[in-house]
Amino acid sequence: MTLVDVPVAPAVPTVTPAPALDARELVKDFGPLRAVAGISFAMRPGELLAVFGPNGAGKTTLLRMLAGALKPTSGEVFLGSERLEPGAAEWRRSIGVLSHQTFLNPQLTAAENLRFYGQLFGLRDLATRIPERLERVGLLDRAEMRVRHLSRGMQQRLSLARTLLHDPQVILLDEPYAGLDPHAAALLNRALAALRDGERTILLITHNLAEGFDVADRLAIQVNGRFVFQGSRAGLEGGEFPRFYARVVEGASR
Amino acid sequence: MTAYLNQVRIIVWRDLTVELRSRERIAAMGGFAVLVAVLIYYAIDLTIVRPRDVAAGLIWMTILFSGMLGFGRAFAMDLEQDQLQGILLSPISRGAFYLGKTIANFALLTAVEALVFTVFGGFFNLSYGGTAWLIVAVVVATAGVAGLGTLLGAIAVHTRPSDSILPLLAFPLLIPLVIHAVMATGRLMAGRPPAEVGGNLRMLAAFAILFLAAGTVLFRYVVEE
Repeated sequence: MTLVDVPVAPAVPTVTPAPALDARELVKDFGPLRAVAGISFAMRPGELLAVFGPNGAGKTTLLRMLAGALKPTSGEVFLGSERLEPGAAEWRRSIGVLSHQTFLNPQLTAAENLRFYGQLFGLRDLATRIPERLERVGLLDRAEMRVRHLSRGMQQRLSLARTLLHDPQVILLDEPYAGLDPHAAALLNRALAALRDGERTILLITHNLAEGFDVADRLAIQVNGRFVFQGSRAGLEGGEFPRFYARVVEGASR
Repeated sequence: MTAYLNQVRIIVWRDLTVELRSRERIAAMGGFAVLVAVLIYYAIDLTIVRPRDVAAGLIWMTILFSGMLGFGRAFAMDLEQDQLQGILLSPISRGAFYLGKTIANFALLTAVEALVFTVFGGFFNLSYGGTAWLIVAVVVATAGVAGLGTLLGAIAVHTRPSDSILPLLAFPLLIPLVIHAVMATGRLMAGRPPAEVGGNLRMLAAFAILFLAAGTVLFRYVVEE
């Protein structure tokens, strides 16, 4: 595929039937700076969309709008048929966010951190839910360890358990591999792969082209606040993707 | 209502548990309070100045500066690993979050006040007559200081340098409350009847209610975009 073949962001979302997550012409301005400049996409239940892009492309801003943490300047986000009202508690119950920052307190134990977040979400069955989530990420034997004594990889897996604690329909992953060594990244990937149950919709933002390509159903490349590529990974081999990505980013940056 | 109170409770539990384990804030606040008391002890010529005449002002000045140290750190700790964002992405009521932080700050400041009154009492041979009403005055004033300090601490944590911004924001607003706290404390320590400080106590209660109500309403606009 040459540079001239690179598709630009389609005006119409590529997946229309009953999307689980539907973003329509999202725009976010910070003063004179347009961080997100009209992004539209739709994801069907169970789909994993990986969003790549250079630093400053507005990826995290996009994710924060989808999470309800930032109010879009214009545009709308739908979760199923429900329109996002920024600040709505019900929206927050449906979304789980895993960032490169763990959101965990280092002075609390693994179990205490999960109990804290579980109670913030009003969950009642924490006595069974917490051990189950810890087991899922391979940390049941570290439940009573303070987070500051866990390795970076373990903290990130514990953060994944936190993300899954309230069974969110949509999971937003922001650079989850940042700061992880290859082994820790592989362990995290294994835990993420277990999430692919056909029901959870996952949006992954990452610089890690190899890890992101491997797990994604669909790919998007964001440059200067826009999706300059959005489509299936069909027809692309994993080995080709870094060169394809570089051509797209270079072409869009001119 | 039960869910709201449960959210308040879990924030209080978390802040106090973290503080009991790290002792970061209580060490800074308590250490500062003792240091100030020692400096004042050597700065005042006890043959000229009667300690009882100036003790209330010195005690509240020490409490106020110690409080600023603690309030500034209350939200700074939430920035580590972006815990603040994690909490805000949960469905917690912003009012419950504020009240939880305020109650935790209130508890810490009360512990520091117990230390301040004990140290000043020891150094200057003060007697705390009318203890029950003195406790009422201190508790109500502390509620007001913690209420405003928590709100302004949330504002200051996003500024740079946050430690110097917080006193600049807080002191002008706290001065009326502290004046009434000093007057009530001084009179009660001098053994005056409680009826004499009724006006001060009512003003302290009014400021405490005002600051807590303002904090509960305004906090969401401070922590959200």
